[in-house]
Amino acid sequence: MGRSLITLEGVSRVYGEISPVHALRDVDLDIAAGDYLSIVGPSGSGKSTMLGLLGVLDQVSSGVIRIDGRDITVLPDGSRSQLRGDVVGFVFQQFHLIPYLTARGNVETALLYRGLTRRERRRRAMAALDRVGLVDREDHLPIQMSGGEQQRVAIARAVVTEPLLVLADEPTGALDTANAANVLEVFADLRSSDRAICIVTHDLDVASRTDRRITMLDGRIVGDERQAGVGSTP
Amino acid sequence: MSRFGELLRVAVAGLTARKVRTLLIMLGPVLGVAAIVAAIGINESSKGDLKAKLRDLGTDLIVVNAQSALGGFSSEPVIPATAADRVARLPDVTSVSGTLQLSNIVTLPFPEAADHYRAFPVPVIVSDLDLPATLEVPMVSGRFLNEFDVATAARAAVIGRDLADEYGYLPGEVRTIELDGLEYGVVGVLDYVLLEPSMDSAVFLTMANAMEDWDVEEPDPTRLYVRAPTNTRLVAEEIPTVVSLGGPDGATASVPTDLLDAQSQVDENLNNLTKMMGGLALIVGGVGIANVMSISVIQRSSEIGIRRALGHRRGTIAIQFLFEALIVGVLGGIVGAGVGAGVVWAVAANRGFTMVLSVSGLIGWAAVSVAVAVVAGLYPSSKAARLEPLEALRLG
Repeated sequence: MGRSLITLEGVSRVYGEISPVHALRDVDLDIAAGDYLSIVGPSGSGKSTMLGLLGVLDQVSSGVIRIDGRDITVLPDGSRSQLRGDVVGFVFQQFHLIPYLTARGNVETALLYRGLTRRERRRRAMAALDRVGLVDREDHLPIQMSGGEQQRVAIARAVVTEPLLVLADEPTGALDTANAANVLEVFADLRSSDRAICIVTHDLDVASRTDRRITMLDGRIVGDERQAGVGSTP
Repeated sequence: MSRFGELLRVAVAGLTARKVRTLLIMLGPVLGVAAIVAAIGINESSKGDLKAKLRDLGTDLIVVNAQSALGGFSSEPVIPATAADRVARLPDVTSVSGTLQLSNIVTLPFPEAADHYRAFPVPVIVSDLDLPATLEVPMVSGRFLNEFDVATAARAAVIGRDLADEYGYLPGEVRTIELDGLEYGVVGVLDYVLLEPSMDSAVFLTMANAMEDWDVEEPDPTRLYVRAPTNTRLVAEEIPTVVSLGGPDGATASVPTDLLDAQSQVDENLNNLTKMMGGLALIVGGVGIANVMSISVIQRSSEIGIRRALGHRRGTIAIQFLFEALIVGVLGGIVGAGVGAGVVWAVAANRGFTMVLSVSGLIGWAAVSVAVAVVAGLYPSSKAARLEPLEALRLG
């Protein structure tokens, strides 16, 4: 097991004040570099809340989240944004590509405001598109691509910054079987000892392809098992 | 600088992605700036034209009209010839000309035209010999009335330029016109008199003719044209006293170019009104920008969410939207200034004005458009920046 990347210590998340909803209850979790894990559970189990907290998109109600040993719950908004851009790459079910930008433009968006030259941004974006096999689609708008291709562009955007953690929220949810299989292969190929990949899904078939499966129910982790995923390295 | 360039490119991409909407929100600043620039430009150009006219006319001409000091109606008031002499002797006065308009004389180019010219009588003006010099109006052809005409009471007439055109008079042509059946020889044509357009269609006779043929008893004019290059207004103020000397013969004196000044003041009021309307258009344009961009923020919440997820800070998102408003303001200002300048050019060309347009004014009003757009963009920008990424992604 690699070094610890993200640690949740007694994390709870409660929404609303008048009639509070306990989305997460006293959760402990440790994600290490090299992890290829899935978080599964039925609707309302707290998967999306977990994703928001792991992705530094949301704030805890109580508890501590450490990234590389640093408590991020005390950071101001600007630092959290920077941390998010540096450490996390997101892939969403609905792709969330910017419709008026080309495939390359979408990938380059992740590299903006980092002091890179246009040439460097372009080079890195092309390298990322190459990793997902879409170099020849660099000038295509999202509307000109299939769902599978759009999701691969979103994956290229997620990894172009070389994040420590790639977070995917139901990445195959909007895809047909063939495209879904293709996208999962891309994820499997992205695994490295420096990075963790975390797929939030309710699809057990998808979860079965990962090396580690975390099961959630009612805001709690009820299972954390290692498995020989289909996508795992032989 | 590179960050600035990146923000600018992102803003331009956001605007060009929705060209029609961008053009529509740009209309407000364009119309506002165009209206203001056009209003100011047209006013300045017309003022320039008035100033040119004033230069042509000279601002030192005083017109003195006879007025009965007692307010009676029994006889037409006149300015006694002796009073005219007194005016001519005033220190600042360089020349004086007296005129007397005769009435009820039918002037005809030929007998067959009698019916027409009875309905539209031609003014007959008795003039002294210095009128062209005092009015500083040249002759188009021939000569003005002279000493010989006076001494011999020869029936010589000078006609105004419009009348010459109306009669089809050719320069140098030997021609007579009929005044109540008396034939007068046309000796010259007087050029346009800008301050007295009625003279352009008038016939000028000598006082000798007036006394001989038209029963004028005294050589007293009813109007004086006085040229006073210095202290014009002071001279105009003292002339009524000089004319009347406390007696029954009164006079009023005015400087006609003052009327043109007054006219430019009236234009100024109209100009202010148009400026206000232009300002209103700018404000409405600003409200339009704020409105459309606020809706745009909701429509683009997915984009905002993903940008936030990619690490863009709240401030960066706010500046991105503010830059979009800024670009709308800059382009709206430039296009508006261009359209306004075009309108000024068209109006100036149409009316024969010299186009007067201040470059600093153009830049200034374009800058106002930018300011309005930026202020209008503040609310939607802060709204975009306030969106929580998770919420934005959910909305998208």
